Amino acid sequence: MISNDSLPGAPASGSMLCMPDTNHTPLLEARALTASLIGDDGAVQILDGVDVVLASGETVDVVGPSGSGKTTLLRALARLLPGASGELALRGADSASLAPVRWRSAVALLPQKPAISPGTVRDNLLMPFRLKAHAAEGQPVDSELRAVLDCLGLADIALDRDAARLSVGQQARVALARVLLTAPAVLLLDEADAALDDASAEAVRVAVARFAAGGGGVVRVRHRADDGLASRRLRLEHGRLSEVAR
Amino acid sequence: MSTDVAGVVQIGWPQLLLATGFVIFVGAVSLRLALGITKDLAIATLRTYAQLIALGYVLRWIFGIRSPWLVIGVVVLMVVVAASIILRRSPDAPPGIFVSSAFSMALTGFTVTFAVTGLVVQVHPWYEPRYVIPIAGMVLGNSMTGIALALERLFADLDSRTDEVLALTALGATPWEAAYSSIRDALRAGLIPTINSMAAAGIVFIPGMMTGQILAGADPVTATGYQIVVMLMVAAATALGSVTALLMTYRRRFDADGVFLEKGFRAR
Repeated sequence: MISNDSLPGAPASGSMLCMPDTNHTPLLEARALTASLIGDDGAVQILDGVDVVLASGETVDVVGPSGSGKTTLLRALARLLPGASGELALRGADSASLAPVRWRSAVALLPQKPAISPGTVRDNLLMPFRLKAHAAEGQPVDSELRAVLDCLGLADIALDRDAARLSVGQQARVALARVLLTAPAVLLLDEADAALDDASAEAVRVAVARFAAGGGGVVRVRHRADDGLASRRLRLEHGRLSEVAR
Repeated sequence: MSTDVAGVVQIGWPQLLLATGFVIFVGAVSLRLALGITKDLAIATLRTYAQLIALGYVLRWIFGIRSPWLVIGVVVLMVVVAASIILRRSPDAPPGIFVSSAFSMALTGFTVTFAVTGLVVQVHPWYEPRYVIPIAGMVLGNSMTGIALALERLFADLDSRTDEVLALTALGATPWEAAYSSIRDALRAGLIPTINSMAAAGIVFIPGMMTGQILAGADPVTATGYQIVVMLMVAAATALGSVTALLMTYRRRFDADGVFLEKGFRAR
């Protein structure tokens, strides 16, 4: 039984993320992840016993050909994949000890499509705090929203701007800002910089590096050239994960 | 022209054949212009004759027996048939929709019908088939349309919002929170036909029940009272039935962990 104070999935806006990892327990650990999809010709095995270990403060990139299951892997790590099996643990606590909603608040997936809701940029950034999972947390004030947007190269975007009228790249960064504001322990980024120009991609890289430096863990699926941020690059092919030599 | 004691014009075979003559004329025009509707029109005409003549005799038999069990049995049969029609109209819906629809319609059908016959019209005995069966038919028919429209919209809307539902769930949304805007739109879709007919009643058209009563010789003002009761109860039944069916069904599109079962993750 885990007390609320020590919930591994508790929002890490305070000191939790900055604590040194003294006992070397991985931040996120996945063992023997297996998943299949139902296709026209029956079930297709996408993940075949995949292991992932992510340390606090670490950024790992997952690469591989299109359709190799990279998105599926991120969804399995976020407990967002129906029918997936295997073991997941956050800071040593088994996933079964956390309600799925709490797990997803701690291990936050940013899907490839930003899914911006109708309303202003502010409405979108505050949307998670209208959900039960984040209702107990205080809503960030405008200055905090502004700081995250500025950090992501969106200094010229007003909080009152209609989010639907932003470019795809701007929407992708608003979606990233929205996840960062919920202060997860682990960020799972599915091609978060795919729609961005080089300068915007660099702003995202800096923001992600800052998140990891604060003690968070990051798993990125990327197709862009290596930007040097990840400590390891893992290749997913035929349902198996292997480390890419550098 | 023969009339009964209330002055109502009786429809006999000559009148029926005259009306059928118009349909035969339309069929002939369709045949001449190769419109391709002659066969459908002929089948529909025969079905109308067969179904309504059968209904007339069945209702006469039921009205004669006056058994509460028979009346309840007829209403249950209506519920089962309506649930089957909803099932056929929702091919993309998750399993279990028949039970949810039947439960929703049984709940609203029995509650609203007997509330009207018992409390508003105050018929004696409470199961008086002459009132209960036509009113249950109107309640269930409209509920069925509302529920079918609402469920079809719910699952189509959820599929079109797959990316948004995933993003919301990833941010910690429960199935209710992730599906909420689809549920709201689906309820609106289910109620629009009822609300439109309420808005247009008396201006664009004379509602069916009132038309029937006026043709049967009733005073139009008396018929108005019945019609208002019927329209309000139909609106209430459609709303109650649609809400119940939506609440019982939306969660089936999510797995036990609250993840939306998009195409590729569901068995059907």
